[in-house]
Amino acid sequence: MKDKLDKLVYEKVRRELEAQTRRHFIKQCATGMGSLALGSLYLGCGFPKKKEEKQTGFSERDLNPLATMAPPFAPKVKNVIFLHMAGAPSQLEMFDYKPELLKLHDQDCPQSLLEGKKFAFIRGTPKLLGPQANFRQVGEAGNWVSDNLPHFKQVIDEVAFLKAVHTDQFNHGPAQLLMHTGSPRLGRPSLGSWVTYGLGSENQNLPGFVVLTSGGKVPSAGKSVWGSGFLPSVYQGVQCRSQGDPVLYIEDPKGMSRDLKKSTIDAINTINKAEYATYADPEILARINQYEMAYRMQIAVPEVMNINNEPAHIKELYGIVPGKESFANNCLLARKLVEQGVRFVQLYDWGWDAHGTAKETSVDIGLQGKCQEIDRPMSALLLDLKQRGLLEETLVVWGGEFGRTPMQENREGKTQSYKGRDHHGDAFTMWMAGGGIRKGASHGRTDDIGFSGVDGRVSVYDVNATILHLLGFDHEQFTFQFQGRPFRLTDVEGEVIHEILA
Amino acid sequence: MKKKALTGILALVLVAMGILLWWMLPASEKVDFSTQIKPILNNKCISCHGGVKKNAGFSLLFEEEAFAATKSGKPAIVRGNASKSELIRRLHEDDPELRMPYQKPKLSEEEIDLLTQWIDQGAEWGEHWAYTLPEEVPVPQPSQEAGFLPNTNSFVQNDIDPFILARLEEHQLAPNNEAAPNILARRLALDLTGLPPEQSLFDRFSSGKLSYEKYIDSLLARSSYGEKWASWWLDLARYADTKGYERDAGRSMWQYRDWVIRALNDDLPFDQFTLQQLAGDLLPDPTIDQLIATAFHRNTMNNDEGGTEDEEFRTASVMDRVNTTFEVWQSTTMGCVQCHSHPYDPFKHKEYYKLMAFFNNTRDEDTWNEDPNLYFYNSSENAKVERVKKWVATYGTPELASQYANFLTFKEPVYQAHLSENFVNGELADTKWLALWDDGSCNLNNIQTHGATALYLHYRSRINGTTMTIKQDNAEGEVLANFTINKTDGNIIRKIPFKKVTGKVHLYIEANNDQIPPETSTSAITWFAFLPDLPGKRQSGYHAIERDFLELLNVKASTLPIMVENPSYMKRTTQLFERGNWLLKTDTVHPKTPGVLNSWQETWPTDRMGLAQWMVDKKNPLTARTLVNRVWHQLFGRGLVATIEDMGTQSDPPSHPALLDWLALRFMNEHAWSLKSLIKEIVLSGTYRQASISTPNLFEKDPENKWYARAPRLRLSAEQIRDQALAISGILSTKKYGPGVMPPQPEGVWQTVYNNEQWVESKGEDKHRRAIYTYLKRTSPYPSFLTFDAGSREVCTVRRTVTNTPLQALVTLNDPVYLEAAYHLAKSVHGKETQLAISEAYEKAIYKKITPQKLAALQDLYNTSFARFENDEKTVKEFLVFEEQASATLAALTTVTNAIMNLDEFLNKT
Repeated sequence: MKDKLDKLVYEKVRRELEAQTRRHFIKQCATGMGSLALGSLYLGCGFPKKKEEKQTGFSERDLNPLATMAPPFAPKVKNVIFLHMAGAPSQLEMFDYKPELLKLHDQDCPQSLLEGKKFAFIRGTPKLLGPQANFRQVGEAGNWVSDNLPHFKQVIDEVAFLKAVHTDQFNHGPAQLLMHTGSPRLGRPSLGSWVTYGLGSENQNLPGFVVLTSGGKVPSAGKSVWGSGFLPSVYQGVQCRSQGDPVLYIEDPKGMSRDLKKSTIDAINTINKAEYATYADPEILARINQYEMAYRMQIAVPEVMNINNEPAHIKELYGIVPGKESFANNCLLARKLVEQGVRFVQLYDWGWDAHGTAKETSVDIGLQGKCQEIDRPMSALLLDLKQRGLLEETLVVWGGEFGRTPMQENREGKTQSYKGRDHHGDAFTMWMAGGGIRKGASHGRTDDIGFSGVDGRVSVYDVNATILHLLGFDHEQFTFQFQGRPFRLTDVEGEVIHEILA
Repeated sequence: MKKKALTGILALVLVAMGILLWWMLPASEKVDFSTQIKPILNNKCISCHGGVKKNAGFSLLFEEEAFAATKSGKPAIVRGNASKSELIRRLHEDDPELRMPYQKPKLSEEEIDLLTQWIDQGAEWGEHWAYTLPEEVPVPQPSQEAGFLPNTNSFVQNDIDPFILARLEEHQLAPNNEAAPNILARRLALDLTGLPPEQSLFDRFSSGKLSYEKYIDSLLARSSYGEKWASWWLDLARYADTKGYERDAGRSMWQYRDWVIRALNDDLPFDQFTLQQLAGDLLPDPTIDQLIATAFHRNTMNNDEGGTEDEEFRTASVMDRVNTTFEVWQSTTMGCVQCHSHPYDPFKHKEYYKLMAFFNNTRDEDTWNEDPNLYFYNSSENAKVERVKKWVATYGTPELASQYANFLTFKEPVYQAHLSENFVNGELADTKWLALWDDGSCNLNNIQTHGATALYLHYRSRINGTTMTIKQDNAEGEVLANFTINKTDGNIIRKIPFKKVTGKVHLYIEANNDQIPPETSTSAITWFAFLPDLPGKRQSGYHAIERDFLELLNVKASTLPIMVENPSYMKRTTQLFERGNWLLKTDTVHPKTPGVLNSWQETWPTDRMGLAQWMVDKKNPLTARTLVNRVWHQLFGRGLVATIEDMGTQSDPPSHPALLDWLALRFMNEHAWSLKSLIKEIVLSGTYRQASISTPNLFEKDPENKWYARAPRLRLSAEQIRDQALAISGILSTKKYGPGVMPPQPEGVWQTVYNNEQWVESKGEDKHRRAIYTYLKRTSPYPSFLTFDAGSREVCTVRRTVTNTPLQALVTLNDPVYLEAAYHLAKSVHGKETQLAISEAYEKAIYKKITPQKLAALQDLYNTSFARFENDEKTVKEFLVFEEQASATLAALTTVTNAIMNLDEFLNKT
């Protein structure tokens, strides 16, 4: 019975595809999310092509919107792990070494730099603040890194730095939205949603786009940074939690055994099949599929989220803290998830907003603490991916929504009790590692105090264009028709940063 | 030889085909611009020649551009002469550098022929159908032939059906049979009230005691109708219970939600519904309800994040209002026009800002307190309000009376603290409050004091003994006020004596307090206000009125953000933003509606009220079409124009253009903008009454159900799925209105930065209210609704994309709310013979008799489940936490009802 039905759906979709030009498709994407919501309509929306076109794969995508799709161009990587330091880490205490700034410490910031600039909290004339960390050149490429990140020195040659990223947003919420959705306002799909929409997922028992948070808070822009915007909600990020159910409602109710759940789903699907015989609506077939997948997810998700079974040396490598929400746990989970074929893993670590209003938010003591929390895990993540051969097919991206000022913050015109820096979008550091990345590269340079990029400036759009490029997309061609026009992640901007590509 | 013969035959065939083509496309037949030419231009040309890009100085967006001289000095289209038209020449060009479309495939012969004919025929420019008025169309007469199609005679129930039938015929499709009464009963109840029908009503209808029409009337009369359709409108209105952005703090908006529900239930005509929401505050002597309606456009987000500039986010809100207004009423995406002229539609860059000028003069300024707010007084306070109003009316001018009445109603106009500048020893604390330190000062410029002898100051302070001095212009200026600020109990509004000055003045504000450490705020000031003096100073009773007024200002009333227009002396000018960047302002513009749409009547005021009148003018081609199209979409899951967001030139052509126009005109004229009448007419149609049963063959012929040879089969909305589960298990609360409720949700879902608000689980019946009353936090909406495709309401949502995911299965299988509902359903049939109990539970949920096959499947499940729970009291107790008398039979039955509530037929409207 089921085979017949599948065949039927497959043939229908194939005929439709053949009958219609691509233009029709693009239009359909904007229109017919109604009766035949899932599957065939999506195929024409972006430009990704289906793997094994015109073979049985069609019915698979028809029934399952996360079915794997091949990108239009040869990809360098299959998966992405994006490590976002929410609140904006200080590049001046981590990667962007500025000896001149040290010399100018405590001097008034030149007026010429301040003219026409807006800061979130700095008012009047602030003083320059020298780097609050020691730097050294390490690795074969001789890139600079501060002593705040001792473990990272071991993997620095895997990484390509972008030293002069810039953004035009200087508040957390809008800047995070810009970084992850290509617009500072709400309503656009996130990077992870675009990628899962375009590529589906390799693992059908796990969500294709997983979000993990640490630091006690979600990022400022809230769940919109992993929202699906105008893309179907099936492509939104699924937040997997360290406490409570890892995915909401994944646990069976108390007293409901696995066997009984299996029987329940069998009964539901038996009846739904009878329903299909009457109504001939492929959505019913899709639902049958989703219930089966839900059952499998109930096993697969808790399994992958359980890090206790990892061998001791791996636990030690990352420095995990079992039973707690931590960046270390999330890095290990990220590795496990991409290993299982999850397409996009987004980590948010909150607590980088070093204004210097308290000890915890100072760029010396506070930042050292935050660096300690991420140094070992993120280095372990690169090592672990590498030793498993996964780094070649995975892209790891690290960064914040903007950087921090070379000036000491003087909130409301007052001197602060701790050393802090204000939000700064003119120049900040990000790095990428993994397949297709030129190892040890460092692109872009800031001026002597790290205020602005003087060479190799790249925008947030460029970063996104590069990520899509590595996944096999042309960011200008990868669009979705909505409200009468094609939308893309990079809006009308973005250029691939070839300087960091291998 | 053979080859030659073949060539000959081929030539003959080609000639024959040519003749056939010529015959099919006679040169005399007039080419239609909208349907034949515009689509080619839009798809093949306009991305380089129109809107953003005008390569070679040539654009095909507007008529005057298309025929203007290009960079070469000559026009590309010569009317009446295709052979002299560069456009045509370039289509035939062989040189790839010259051939158009550049680096794209050549146009097809048919396309080139069409363009050639069009130019030869005079290149008449036409308007897109959506920008011309709906045409009076006769109801089609079914052809003779149609009468012979099966079901046709019983199919036609009203004037909608012949329109549908005509297209069915064209596609050689026959309508389906009418659905069974039980199916129709459930479908109608879900569509009209969002709930399954109550048993008694269902019985009366399905037994024939209540006619189809009376059943509809009965449903439309229920208040659950408003609760259902409000979900649709609130998506458009981007209604939420929080402000959005980083802090996403709570806001008190629920009075607006309740207004929508009431307005729908009262069937407030759609033109009034429109006027009140867009410009209720500009109606003469607006009622409280009309002011509440204006909260529609206060659903824009508000950014409280420290360090943000209020003007930036005020501007963002104003732009959102332009975009939302056009999405909601005009099916038009104005967002594109922010930065450049519309790439496809005839809207110009400047026209966006002319529209923005309508919205750019409201008092709201993205302040943390969301001013202006409507204040809701209790009855004793209202009595005081009336006393004050009467006093001012008696001793003052009518204008003064309205100024005082307004100030009590919404406390405007005020000068917000963020207008202060030139700080010395002071700051705008958290970019919100004016905070001066010892020896601090700042300026507040261009202030209209109305010659008042008092200043109203909204502030709080934790410190005693600060002297504040307000001088004219600067530190050396005349002292206008001198007063002491002491500790306050939270925010207060105080009346402070002020020296009379005339005209607009610059204020210089000083604070002194040498008892406090440096850099300590003396107070936090929210706003300054000046009202002309209270009249009747010499009359007895003056002091009591003065006291009443001040007391009223300090009442802790509940509030609602509303729209209030700037007084003349606070008017902003509107400027064009270069590339949509609010910091790059260029030409000044004045309010004006886009040229391509209906013309402006001189009698309309050039403000939001005028704009609203223009919108509901019967000459507006888009308002009624948009509305009927979206109501149709609500009922059929597909619009007559499938792109319900957009009726522009890139939209789908209407599947039934005549029906769309007929319905639009009927909605305005016969139905006098009554939404209930429109809905009733549609559901009375034979089209709506069809069965949704299909066959693979029919499905294949019309997979999207574009021609309506069957009723649609649609998944219920997030709200309906929850409400239905609670309703059929008998635990749904019927309580209406009031602040958002917080039904149980998993721990730890809310984690917002800089915000200590908590999800405090509601108690009693508030746990089981209709979904529309659930508190909606933008950055963290109720998780199970999100899973079923409800949005976060940050921006206007015209369409919820329906998905089908495993996470949805997890909700209805495992969410404790659904388990609780399953338990209550099981309990209602528990104790009966098993098969009977299962059959009854199924029937209660699905409104159908169970088939033997389905019963067998559920009986199997029951047996398996019973075997599992039997002799395992502990597990039974764990499973049925709601029940003291837990038993294995009840547990087994609950497993079965849980399965029933996960059936596709339960989750769908059939």
